[in-house]
Amino acid sequence: MVLRKSGLAAAVLLACSPAAFSDDLNINGFVSVGASVLSNTDVHIGNYDDNASFSNDTIVGLQISKQVNDTTSATAQLVSRGTEDYNTEAAWAYITYAATEDLDVRFGRLRTPFFYYSDFLEVGYAYNWIRPSGEVYRLDTFSSINGVDFTQRFSTGSVDGSVQFYYGRFSDDFTPVDETYNIELRNFTGVVLNLTQGDFGARLSYHQADMYMPELGTKTGALDGLITAATGAGVGDKFVPDGETTSFYEAAVTYDNGDMFFIAEWTALNHETAIFNDDTGYMVSAAKRFDDTTIHLTYSNQSDDLESGTVGQIQKNLEGKESSITLGARFDYDTSTAFKVEAQYQDEDTYLGAPGESGMLYSVAVDLVF
Amino acid sequence: MKLFKSISKIAIGLTLLIGSLVHAEVAVIVSASNANAALDQDTISRVFLGKTSNFPDGSQAIPVDQTEGSASREAFNDKVLGKSSSQLKAYWSRLIFTGKGTPPKESGSDAEVKDLVAKNPNLIGYVDASVVDGSVKVVFKF
Repeated sequence: MVLRKSGLAAAVLLACSPAAFSDDLNINGFVSVGASVLSNTDVHIGNYDDNASFSNDTIVGLQISKQVNDTTSATAQLVSRGTEDYNTEAAWAYITYAATEDLDVRFGRLRTPFFYYSDFLEVGYAYNWIRPSGEVYRLDTFSSINGVDFTQRFSTGSVDGSVQFYYGRFSDDFTPVDETYNIELRNFTGVVLNLTQGDFGARLSYHQADMYMPELGTKTGALDGLITAATGAGVGDKFVPDGETTSFYEAAVTYDNGDMFFIAEWTALNHETAIFNDDTGYMVSAAKRFDDTTIHLTYSNQSDDLESGTVGQIQKNLEGKESSITLGARFDYDTSTAFKVEAQYQDEDTYLGAPGESGMLYSVAVDLVF
Repeated sequence: MKLFKSISKIAIGLTLLIGSLVHAEVAVIVSASNANAALDQDTISRVFLGKTSNFPDGSQAIPVDQTEGSASREAFNDKVLGKSSSQLKAYWSRLIFTGKGTPPKESGSDAEVKDLVAKNPNLIGYVDASVVDGSVKVVFKF
């Protein structure tokens, strides 16, 4: 019996610590498996429809990191998403150089730190929802960039914080409405300030980039139609973004005392070009924990801000305005596994310039980390 | 008389055992050669959550955890960090997957953590108060 027990203990040790034998090679992973169904297809939420879908919230990620020497480490995170036919992509691949004890420099492919949840957007286990609110978390295409960032950590009294500055470039396919275009964002840069004091946290960030979309106007999509209309009205040059700057502002406050959790996050997107509408998106969310069960409620809202005059009249063709209310529960039935259920009421005031509809999205998911 | 003696010995032994089960006290410890005296709960919590990597005197602080499921670890998470084990797991997964931090190394039981901490003045750990001896210094007790 004693023998069997220690045999079991050894087996458990082996199973639990895959990295135990290669001192500083770390392997971590996360898996989310979800199923959702939309009450009707008059509302538009991602790729969901009124048949049960099993791939929209399904994500597998594997992270390998290796401390190369005292100051340098290498990290790669490979992510495979159900929304992209499980093609595997490097969401992160970077080298970290610890310049000082409190200053890290990272080179490579990094997650664009637009939002409070950007860094761990795909690690469902790290937050209460099945997915963060789509009204605020809306720059999916640009979620990773190639570049460099500097993170300086500091403490003053009981406040801990960090300032992150990044600079990079982005180039990829982008499908804003119906047609796909190559988009390039040059001088892609931003700064993020993070502060925590006890149960309170705050985050402020600013981002900007120069936008190039040379294929605009050469295809037959909604945006090409917009350019034709604008050219006819004599304001065509306002709708050609080449080199114009886009800015993004974000502010978030959080409170977490272990049993109660609160977050409010506000964002605004501001384009110099008129081809895309400026917009504002915000959400307010509260959660209460009862032992292993967490109940959460979230309101989020997004609305386009149009320019005045003829330009605004043309922009109106693609105007969007929507809000949602999400009620959900998370059950932590094991220290590394969470089961989640959610009901989301989506109210589309305006969708692509036309009056919208409302509908419900029901989802379940299992999130785990290892 | 002899019988009485051994019965009372057993009784005392039982009382001590039950007493230690009920009043198990956990001590946060550093090496006897560490220059820091008492630490407050906030400092300990910031070190164990990776928010700071220094002791108040500026020297490097490296936290060590006990193996998952140990009684001391449960008590420490609950009373000092104020988080359940799944909340801590969620907290660390936010940092692990962004390269911004790694959780304290799991370093065995009370006795093993005490031995490790005794040998290295940069380490900080927590153990059941009963295993504390002269090789380590208690900086916080709960």
